[in-house]
Amino acid sequence: MGADFSRRDFLKAAVLAPLLPSFLAACRRAESGRVVNFFNWSDYIGKDTLPNFTKRTGIQVRYDLFADEEEMFAKLRAGARGYDLVVIGDYLIPRFRALNMIEPIPPGALANMGNLAPRFRHASYDPEEATVPYLWGTTGIAYNRRTLKRKPTSWWDLWDPRYKDRLSMLDNVRDCISVAMQLLNIPETTNSEADFQKVRDLLVRQKPLVKMYSSTSYLNSLVAGEIDLAMTWSGDLFQAAKDNPDLDYALPKEGTYMWVDCLALMRGCRHRQDALRLIDYLLEPKVAADNADFVRYASPNEKAWPFVDPVLRRDPRVYPPKKMMDALMLHHILDPEQTERWNELWADVKVA
Amino acid sequence: MKALERALSWLLSGRRQTASHALLAPAVLWLLIFLVTPALGLVALSLARNGAYGDVVWSLGLRNYRRAFAPQFAPVLLRTVGFASATTALCLLLGYPLAYFLSFRAGRWRGALIIALMVPFWTSSLVAFYSWMIILGKEGLINAALMRFGFLSSPMGMLYTPFSVLLGLVYFYLPFTVLPLYGSLEKIPRQYVEAAYDLGAPRWAAFREVTLPLSLPGVIAGALLTFIPCLGDFLTAELLGGPRYYLLGNLISNQFLMAQDWPFGAALTSLLLAGMIAGLWLYRRWEPDA
Repeated sequence: MGADFSRRDFLKAAVLAPLLPSFLAACRRAESGRVVNFFNWSDYIGKDTLPNFTKRTGIQVRYDLFADEEEMFAKLRAGARGYDLVVIGDYLIPRFRALNMIEPIPPGALANMGNLAPRFRHASYDPEEATVPYLWGTTGIAYNRRTLKRKPTSWWDLWDPRYKDRLSMLDNVRDCISVAMQLLNIPETTNSEADFQKVRDLLVRQKPLVKMYSSTSYLNSLVAGEIDLAMTWSGDLFQAAKDNPDLDYALPKEGTYMWVDCLALMRGCRHRQDALRLIDYLLEPKVAADNADFVRYASPNEKAWPFVDPVLRRDPRVYPPKKMMDALMLHHILDPEQTERWNELWADVKVA
Repeated sequence: MKALERALSWLLSGRRQTASHALLAPAVLWLLIFLVTPALGLVALSLARNGAYGDVVWSLGLRNYRRAFAPQFAPVLLRTVGFASATTALCLLLGYPLAYFLSFRAGRWRGALIIALMVPFWTSSLVAFYSWMIILGKEGLINAALMRFGFLSSPMGMLYTPFSVLLGLVYFYLPFTVLPLYGSLEKIPRQYVEAAYDLGAPRWAAFREVTLPLSLPGVIAGALLTFIPCLGDFLTAELLGGPRYYLLGNLISNQFLMAQDWPFGAALTSLLLAGMIAGLWLYRRWEPDA
C-alpha cells in the first residue's frame, strides 16, 4: 500500500470500516432469512442453549437484553418493534394482556407443554396459558459469609444501621414495596393513602443505609466486596457466587416471594412459527435442565428435573422442599390504579 | 458537471437572498424536524394526564407542573444545580491553566496534546465510567495500591460518594470547557501582550489587564457548555453516585422508564428546557460584544 494510501483513502476506510460487519451480517441474514428476535433478561440463558438451537434448526436467534422489567415494558410500550419472543414476569402477564401486547400461544401448538410441573400450569397469573413458564426463583437476601459473620435471618436485617453503606436493594418496585408491606402487615391489596404513607416512610428510613438501588450491577459490587448484604434474586446470586465463594443466600423468616418468568409471543411478531419452535425447544427436558443449571434458577419443567445437576437439585435454596415451597407467595396482581400508585410511591422514595 | 458548477456558484454568490435561504434550508429543516417538533410534542405531552399502565390521556391541564413544584422535588433541583455549579467551577479551575498552556506554551506539542485531551471525549462515557468504578472501588486500583504500601489498613469508600460523582462529571465535561477557552485564547493577538510588557507591565499585570479580559468570552462559553449539559446528566449519578445523589436527569429518566409517567417526565423536561433557554437569553442580553 505504502505511499498510494493517501490520507483521503484512510478517511474513507475509517468511515466505512465500522459499517462492514453489519453489511456482511445483513447479507448473511438475507440468505437464510429464518430468525427469531428474542428479548430477555441479562444473564438469563445457558451459554450453548441458543447456538445449539441454531445448529439444529438453522434458525438464527437475534438476542437482545434488558436489565429491568419496567424498562423493558416501557420500551415495548413505546413501540419497540421487531421482537418475536419476550421473557416477562408473572405479574406483568395481565398487564401485557390488558394492553393487547402479546399473542396468546395457541393451545396444542407446543408438543412439550406437558413437560411442565402441574404447579406451573394454569397458574393464577395466567389461567389461560397465554404464555409458557421459563424459569422461576425467589427473592431473598444475599450476604458475604466472611465479612458479615452472621447469617441474616429477617428482612429487618436490611434495615439494620450496622450495615450502613454495605447493603443494596433491588431497583424494583414490586419487590421493595411488597417486602415493606409485609414488614408492616399491610396487605398488598391496599388502596389506603395512610398505608402508602407508612410504606414510603419505612423505605425512606432505610435509604441512608442503602449504597445503591440496582438489579444488575450490585452483583459485581457483591463479588468485589463493595457491599456485603443485598436484596437479590436467587439465581443471580448463585451465578455471582461462582466468582466469589463467600457469597451465600438466605430466605428471610417472614417468608418471601417466588416469581415465574414466562415466554410470551409479541403481538404482530413476524416469525411466529420459528418462535414457537424455539419455545418448544426450550421445553425439551435436557435443554431446559442445562439452561437452568447454567443460570442457576429452578426449572418449572418436571421432565427436566432428572437431568438437573444433582448438587443444584438437592440444594433447598434452588429447589425448595414442598413445605417451603407452599410457604412462598406470588406477587399480588395490581389493577391499573394500584400500579400507578405503586410506581409513584417508588419514585417518591427515590427522590426523598 | 458544468450545470453543477453553475448551481454551486449561484449558491455561493452571496448577494441573492434566495441563494442565502437555500443555503440555510437544510439546517433549518433539520432543526424543525429534530428539535422544534419534538420539543413542541414534549410540551403538549406535559399537559396530558397519566392513565392506566402509563397510557397518555389527553385531558389537558397544568397538574404536572403543579406536581413538579411540590416541595419533595426541591432537594433534587438544588442538588443538581449544586453539582452542575461545582463541576463548572472545577472545570474552569483546571481548564484555564490547561488552555493557557496549550495556547501560549505548548509549541510543537500542541496538536498531540489537543488529541490527548479529546481522546476521553471520544470513548463512550459508559466505558469511561465503568473504568472509574474499577479504579475507585473498595478492591479497586487506588485502594489496593494504598493498602499494599501501608497507607491504609482498611479500604476507603470512594465510589458512590459526592466525590465520585464530581470526578465523573469533571472528567467527562472538561473538554467542553477547555476547547472554547483555548479558542478564545488562541484569538488574542500576541502583540497586545507584548505591548503590555513593553509598557512596563509585570507578567501578572499583563495577564490580568490584557489576556484575562480578552479571554472572557471563552470563559463564559466554556462555562455554559459545561453547566447546561450537566443539569441534564443522569448517567454519571446512575453509575458513580449512590441513591443519595439522585439528580434531575435521574428523576426525568425514571419517569419515562420506571414510573411509566410520561406526562410528568415531559413536564420536568419542559421546565428544564425553559430554564436553559431563559439562562441563554439572559446571557445574550448581558454579553458585551460577541
